[in-house]
Amino acid sequence: MSRGLLTTTVGSFPKPDYLAQARNEFSLGKLTREQLAELELKSTAEVIRLQEDVGLDILVDGEMCRGDMVAFFAGEEGGRTIEGMKLGGLVRSYGNRYYHKPIITGKLTWPGPMTLDMWRYAQGLTDKPVKGMLTGPYTMVDWAFDEHYGDRTQAVLDMAAVIHEEAVALDKAGAPYIQVDEPAATTRFDEMDLVSRGLSIVTQGLKAKTVTHFCYGDFARVFQQIVDLPVGQLDIETANSDYDLLELFRGNRFDKELAIGVLDVHSHRVETVEEVVAGIRRGLEVMPPERLFIDPDCGLKTRTWDEAAAKLRVMVQAVRQVRRELGID
Amino acid sequence: MLTTVVGSYPKIPDRPHPPKLRSAIARFDWGDMAADELRRVEDEVTVEVIQEQAEAGVDIITDGQIRWEDDQTYFARRMEGFSIDGLIRYFDTNMYYRQPVVEGPVRWRESAVAADYEFAKIQSPAPVKALVTGPYTLAALSADQHYGSLRDLTLALAVELRNEVLALEKAGAPIIQINEPAILQQKQDFPLFRQALEMMMDGVRTEAHLYTWFGDIDGLYPQILELPFAAIGLDFVRGPANWDVIARQPFTKKLGLGIIDARNTRLESVDEIVSAVRRASALVAADMTYVNPSCGLEYVPREVAQAKLARMVQGVRQAQEVPA
Repeated sequence: MSRGLLTTTVGSFPKPDYLAQARNEFSLGKLTREQLAELELKSTAEVIRLQEDVGLDILVDGEMCRGDMVAFFAGEEGGRTIEGMKLGGLVRSYGNRYYHKPIITGKLTWPGPMTLDMWRYAQGLTDKPVKGMLTGPYTMVDWAFDEHYGDRTQAVLDMAAVIHEEAVALDKAGAPYIQVDEPAATTRFDEMDLVSRGLSIVTQGLKAKTVTHFCYGDFARVFQQIVDLPVGQLDIETANSDYDLLELFRGNRFDKELAIGVLDVHSHRVETVEEVVAGIRRGLEVMPPERLFIDPDCGLKTRTWDEAAAKLRVMVQAVRQVRRELGID
Repeated sequence: MLTTVVGSYPKIPDRPHPPKLRSAIARFDWGDMAADELRRVEDEVTVEVIQEQAEAGVDIITDGQIRWEDDQTYFARRMEGFSIDGLIRYFDTNMYYRQPVVEGPVRWRESAVAADYEFAKIQSPAPVKALVTGPYTLAALSADQHYGSLRDLTLALAVELRNEVLALEKAGAPIIQINEPAILQQKQDFPLFRQALEMMMDGVRTEAHLYTWFGDIDGLYPQILELPFAAIGLDFVRGPANWDVIARQPFTKKLGLGIIDARNTRLESVDEIVSAVRRASALVAADMTYVNPSCGLEYVPREVAQAKLARMVQGVRQAQEVPA
């Protein structure tokens, strides 16, 4: 592996057409859960092959069996449900899009491994490291209704204990990286302490390298708290905001690894190598290459398979060019 | 003491009931349905949600904002000067709206809501109030590329949205409600807020209500009582400090008492509602109080919304039957 500018992705990959179709048929009762599971394994293998083929350094299983990153742990078909959670009725998220919003109905308890089998399967297909992918406790609680706790702090702390058990299971199985995503963290900056407390419970005692992904936000207000987050790597969206967040890291103490997004996952357009090279150079202005990781802004599941592949190829090509310039290829 | 709602109502029911509006919009977006056909489905669903609110026993209802994609674009799309951009989070909810972008001078062309009001009035057994997103909130939640200051944009919108208020007055709406949640997030803008609303409501004779949510009015009280509105709606769920704030000085307007959590599925008990209503009665006379959810009901599933309204009505009736 290179000595710097390691490449990875944030987690989700597009579901191949046959899988999207099978999920639809399953929801209509035309396919059994076992038949669907078989296709999930098939597509996971394809996601691993794609990442190897593109030349990424740190892989993911692509979340072929997950619909929504919270609902998967809260009653979604094919997921294993945290005790004390269930899926609620349909709520609109925007436009004409609706989702089953989970409900916390009781004391939150770990139901046994929820992601371990799929991680094992994916890691068994490759010699490259595969990240264990979890949703963080703050996001799990924020994106659910609460009929039990009536107190966000207690709900987040109990949820953190649940996610910790899952992280420990991945850790024991040998997952080299465990990523705990907190996209909801940037919703309310006055609760960053709670986000941090939750993550510290999740990551306590893990041997694996730990990562957390945050969505774009006004980080300046909480930069010190972000510096002190109890994870080894912070992963942020930067391409879709013209890399302005990087300015925060200039001259400020930040001793973690930083993963920066160089691909806009909400755009169909494939970036040029020059654009991505320029983005990587922006990152190198504030971080040394051995602590700078390169990835897309966010999960790739909203892109088509071909768009995702094309974007990742450009990303790897750009990284290789910069590595050559730095003499670290 | 009357019951009302703040505005939005869930657009589709839970499975296995058919999601009529969702299917219709999908077909419309694919080009498989004509605009007037979609309009008919919107009409149908509006009638359904009017009936659900009335069945729950709510005294003053809305059309459920069934035709609205969100509070911002419903007006911005019908005005000159706006384009509509990418998705952005609505306050700290998990609901997103497309952000209006101000690209030129804003100008009102036609009413967004007067025809909606006229339709709802005919269909509804209960009085229907009409809603307008306030100029401050519309300005604060848009991206300004033209005016260069929140102040200039807000005042320009106040002048233009005044036409919307006048159109509703002409249509005969008994109550016109102006929604201004954004002021609670940037209270230092109160002088601008006041100026804009005074301009917008100048000479309006219809009973006007001002509603806020997702916070409290600490720092805006009692000045907010000087604004030209008959009633002020407050969120006591996300803004529990409102209880103490309005106890400091007499509340001289009608109060919109937002005590039913419209962002959570947990159903309030009758006792909880009775106790909140009595707590408010110590501060504001019963005939000066409207009991309502904390904000629009679109944050919860349809069945939950209806259950919450029925429970609210039950609680208010019980609170009034037994003297405190």
